[in-house]
Amino acid sequence: MRRLLRYDDGLWGTFWIAGMGVLLAWDLAFLNAPAFARLVEALANTLFGATLAVLFTLLFGWAAGVGGYLFEQHKRRLPSLALSYFMNLIRSIPQMIGILGGYIVLTILIEREILQSQLVQLLWMSFTISVFTFPELADVIRERIEYYRRSDFFDAMLCSGVRESRIINFDILWKNSIAHIAQKLVSTFAMAIFLQCSIDFIISVGLSTDVSLTNFPVTLGGMLATMDSKQDILAISMLFEEIGYWPNLLFRHLQGVSAAFSLVFTLVCMYRVSNGLIRRHNL
Amino acid sequence: MKRWVIDHLASVALVLVAFAVLFAITRKEETPATSQQRELIAPYLSLKALDAADPLHRALLTETFSVFYPDSPERADTLLRALDANREEQFTTLALKTGVESPGLTWAKAARLAPMYLNFLLVYVIVLALTYYGAHTAGVYRFVRMKQRRDPPLREFRRRLSSALADRSGRGRAKQLLSALPHLGAALLKGVAYALLFAPSYVIAYSFKTNIETDSYLVMVLLAVISNGLLVSYANKFTTLLVHESRKGYVETAMVKNLHSSYAWNRPEGISVSAVLSFRKRFPSHVFGHVYSNAHFQYIRTVKEQAAFVVTGLVIIEMALNIQNHLCYELLQTVLYKDYAVAAAIIFAIFLAVKGTEIGVDGWFRHEAKKYDYPVDGQ
Repeated sequence: MRRLLRYDDGLWGTFWIAGMGVLLAWDLAFLNAPAFARLVEALANTLFGATLAVLFTLLFGWAAGVGGYLFEQHKRRLPSLALSYFMNLIRSIPQMIGILGGYIVLTILIEREILQSQLVQLLWMSFTISVFTFPELADVIRERIEYYRRSDFFDAMLCSGVRESRIINFDILWKNSIAHIAQKLVSTFAMAIFLQCSIDFIISVGLSTDVSLTNFPVTLGGMLATMDSKQDILAISMLFEEIGYWPNLLFRHLQGVSAAFSLVFTLVCMYRVSNGLIRRHNL
Repeated sequence: MKRWVIDHLASVALVLVAFAVLFAITRKEETPATSQQRELIAPYLSLKALDAADPLHRALLTETFSVFYPDSPERADTLLRALDANREEQFTTLALKTGVESPGLTWAKAARLAPMYLNFLLVYVIVLALTYYGAHTAGVYRFVRMKQRRDPPLREFRRRLSSALADRSGRGRAKQLLSALPHLGAALLKGVAYALLFAPSYVIAYSFKTNIETDSYLVMVLLAVISNGLLVSYANKFTTLLVHESRKGYVETAMVKNLHSSYAWNRPEGISVSAVLSFRKRFPSHVFGHVYSNAHFQYIRTVKEQAAFVVTGLVIIEMALNIQNHLCYELLQTVLYKDYAVAAAIIFAIFLAVKGTEIGVDGWFRHEAKKYDYPVDGQ
């Protein structure tokens, strides 16, 4: 435990778990049961969706990073050009616009009753988010391969008969770059939460009359968009007029305040974990 | 024309073609289906006695169909679905509403959207410039604080608290505790600042909604700069670049050559606050000047990524806060009313803004690279 808390990443990771634990315990005690169940579901969906987005990002980022390098090394000009062109194009599309496009497709699929399962809907959302987050990981992977490619050990291993794919995937990426990849994935996790909650909040304005928050998997963003939660958040501004109003936020306005707190607290903690990894491993 | 410009223009052309193809497909798909549906329901719409929303009427219609058409039991369901779709259309289709323009991209609509686009561009440029300045300034400030080896307020508070607890005399303990309190205050303030910087813009806006006008340009710019983690993320990136640069060998060489290397504030051999705050930061005769120049050069390409994130922030603000008569709110409305031609045009216009920034940034990077004889694209 002491070893875990010695570094900022471990400290903030533990702080996040403890903070969320305290929040849930408080909500269990003071928030009404239906709202509590909804909050837990929203939190679980948000974290699950973000984890899926991280997994997709890892898959696509790894494939694009290694694939891009191998295409270039083996003089496969067409696939190499196509891949870099595609990645540059994705970089030029603001994430929110791209994800909004993904959601439009999702609403059409729901309207046509092609996509009904909430799990598949979450998978779709995470996939869409990962399309706009993987280029950063692919860049890191590419940079790591290029860095080690210049060192002697790469050629030495090739001469010893070790396959190039093994050197790249195992010796370079797995054994020597895991901290870089982990740091990027933590940032991706935070980014996925932010994007998913934001798009869900926006959808409350309405993308379709058939598809609404009632038939999308609820996330923290969707929960914040409900009228009750909006009222709760609005109540925060009461503090500017009457500072003594703050205890009400912890009891009467708990639903919205809890949703907003879990979102902001998670984002801050993930930022600190990612920063801690940079500092600990001198990335 | 240079190759990198052609590359950018080619991707603009590709997106334009993709949108045109998509637009053509959706138009082709929509027309026959809609006209077929209208033909099917036309005789039933004229029946004044039939209310398709009434469950009794629906049941009666299903039963009547099953008597008249026993061989095709799905016929009643198809008709009811078409009637439902028609009813929904009355509410959602822009063309069927009174006092609004017909769907599709017309010159009148383009003329209405043009000022919104110009406003969007203006806000975008201001926010991009402010976050660029903010990221550099905050990045330099954090780096200098790091070099000064100052503990963060919470660690300082913990240190003073433990020394207060270790102090045996009551007076000394009280004095130590008192000296620890400002650090606790600073730590709390820092926590609130972090929460504000990382909070999505809609959380901040709703928290202040009764006190501020969220649709004013000033508030929009302010929200876009401070919220969504934009400023803090890019400040952090710049600090990381500064730290990387400061570890390079030339820094020690510069120190041997007697360049100033103190990081104390406002000392002749240190770092002046005014230099940190100015837009064009210069640190003459200080080793940090070189560290800053090199980090700044490496940061230039990050501006492309930053530009895309600025747009993301603006889209969230305009859509989530329902800021009417703004481009992204219009985009959401066009999507809601399935006016995909206009939606595609707005998205393409936003894409052009980002592409324009990318071309500008690449040109700037090449200009700076020439100064340092830095090879670009293997040249």
